[in-house]
Amino acid sequence: MNALYVICGLGIFSLVAEVFNLRKWIFFVSLFGLLVALTWVVIDWKAISYFYRGMVYFDHFALAFSGLILLISIFWFWMFRDYFVDEEHRTDKSALVLFVVTGAVMMVSFNNMAILFLGLEILSISIYVLAGSNKQNLFSTEAAFKYFLMGSFATGFLLFGITLVYGATGSFNITEIANFIIAHRTLPRFIYIGILMMMVGLAFKISAVPFHQWAPDVYEGSPTPITTLMSTVVKIGAFGAFVKLFSVAFITFSPSLKLIEQGIVVITLLVANITAVYQLNVKRMLAYSSVAQVGYLLLGFSSDSAHSAGTVFYYLTAYSVASVMSFAVVEIVEKNTGSAHVDNFKGLFKNNPLLAVAMTVALFSLAGIPPFAGFFGKYLVFTLSIGNGYIVLTILALITSLMGVYYYFKPLVAMSQPGSGKIVIFSSEKILLWVLILINIAVGIFPDLAQLL
Amino acid sequence: MTLYVFYFLSFVAIFSALLVVFSKNPIYSVLYLIVTFFAIAGHYILLNAQFLAVVHVIVYAGAIMVLFLYVIMLLNLNHEDEPHKKNLAKIAAVICGGILMTVLVGTLRGASQAIPRTGGDIGYVKTLGRILFTEFLLPFEISSILLLAAMVGVVMVGKTDTKKTTVDINEPNNQ
Repeated sequence: MNALYVICGLGIFSLVAEVFNLRKWIFFVSLFGLLVALTWVVIDWKAISYFYRGMVYFDHFALAFSGLILLISIFWFWMFRDYFVDEEHRTDKSALVLFVVTGAVMMVSFNNMAILFLGLEILSISIYVLAGSNKQNLFSTEAAFKYFLMGSFATGFLLFGITLVYGATGSFNITEIANFIIAHRTLPRFIYIGILMMMVGLAFKISAVPFHQWAPDVYEGSPTPITTLMSTVVKIGAFGAFVKLFSVAFITFSPSLKLIEQGIVVITLLVANITAVYQLNVKRMLAYSSVAQVGYLLLGFSSDSAHSAGTVFYYLTAYSVASVMSFAVVEIVEKNTGSAHVDNFKGLFKNNPLLAVAMTVALFSLAGIPPFAGFFGKYLVFTLSIGNGYIVLTILALITSLMGVYYYFKPLVAMSQPGSGKIVIFSSEKILLWVLILINIAVGIFPDLAQLL
Repeated sequence: MTLYVFYFLSFVAIFSALLVVFSKNPIYSVLYLIVTFFAIAGHYILLNAQFLAVVHVIVYAGAIMVLFLYVIMLLNLNHEDEPHKKNLAKIAAVICGGILMTVLVGTLRGASQAIPRTGGDIGYVKTLGRILFTEFLLPFEISSILLLAAMVGVVMVGKTDTKKTTVDINEPNNQ
């Protein structure tokens, strides 16, 4: 809870900084504040409790996910400092980014639907605006508008779902809902459609197929820093909310919800991985890849809804570290060569070995090649699904992850080909890339992280 | 008596909602939408939610409708330059909408099993205020962040930049 206060305060500080001419300090204050928030998360680890009459519940799940969100946002601020340097709306942008983080933390720690909805809206509204923050670029505006229209529609679904669930159970509190469902054998029929609508609303936010249509265009059109934010912080928040909602409130229905989730898994894995093969723009390819990763996450979650939080957390950690790393490289290449087309990656191994190595580690991790974190993430997910007897699904996931290896190797092949061009990176970016590579390997060496939850 | 009022309001709401969809002129659509909102506000009063009814009239029938009218005026919608949608998309939309409606009607038919929320003064401002400042204190305070984010967003989107030096770096490469 203290972490949440700190992040909210940081967002408001960013806005006030404009008035008092403290613009120079925003970056350092934000970074420092996020570190303080992360420290609070660590301190609170021993003191699990409800806050504000059961509105939010900071248990180990919420604290671990908040910690991950904060860690990734620290890396984000570190990496994409440029995003705030030579632009006019420096304070507005940093405030909105901090509000995105606030929303994400609320979404993983909610215990009441009201907080879930508010968290989702704070996160979404900020990210809609940020997606269109490159006003000179028509594609950025298009991305913002597309995301806004579709996102509001999805929020409508979620809200209608919450209403129906409230109508059936008489409560917004997710633990009370769970108890009510257990206590009453006969429930009004509309609770089922309510649950499904909530699932649709959240599936849109985590961009699972068939609700993924917006993702490639929005990811490609938005400025790369914002794409990174969407594919990491937003995804962690939304998936955390998904897991929390369906493993606490509706756990009684998990045998039947499992079928729907597995349907989503099958089409997500197939559609996303097959479409990704045809992409020539690395940013768009990574967008499809982030849709595909949701398939693996959902496979893990649907196999055993009650006890999969640790696996999901581990997978999300591995995924988001690799994702930040790959998008950082894409951003640097894009800045230097003008576009993220796969041909622009040619000669990277010779021109800038560190960037190439970082990209290689990130893509290996996303593809699931040992010894990187992504491999153990996939390994844990597959173990979980085989252990629960879903052999066919696991085989399908294995085949699609082999397809993944093919398209992840495309930029790698391009990087090793001869090419010209000079790419400059700052020393702070160099340090960050090293840190991320080390974290990736360290997470891979210690899969015990999954035992945290 | 209440039952007749309910049927009357429901009829007005459904009828005007259909007219919103079927009228050719967007201005008429908006006006029928206002009628729908008033009918729904009447339903709120029947459900003993006076505060909600008043807010509904002020926010929806007042503010949002004015916004709609302004947008329609500014966009200057004509039939000629409205893009025609493909028939396939139309059929798909009708099928999806029909399925959703069937499912909703089918499930909501069992709604009589729902627990009625009783209590005489449940919809008054006093009760609402008490709940807002006790049980729902955190959402109430947090919604200020939501409003702040929306406000900052509007300023950011709406304000024209004075210097236009940003280079267009995101050349699109669509497949």
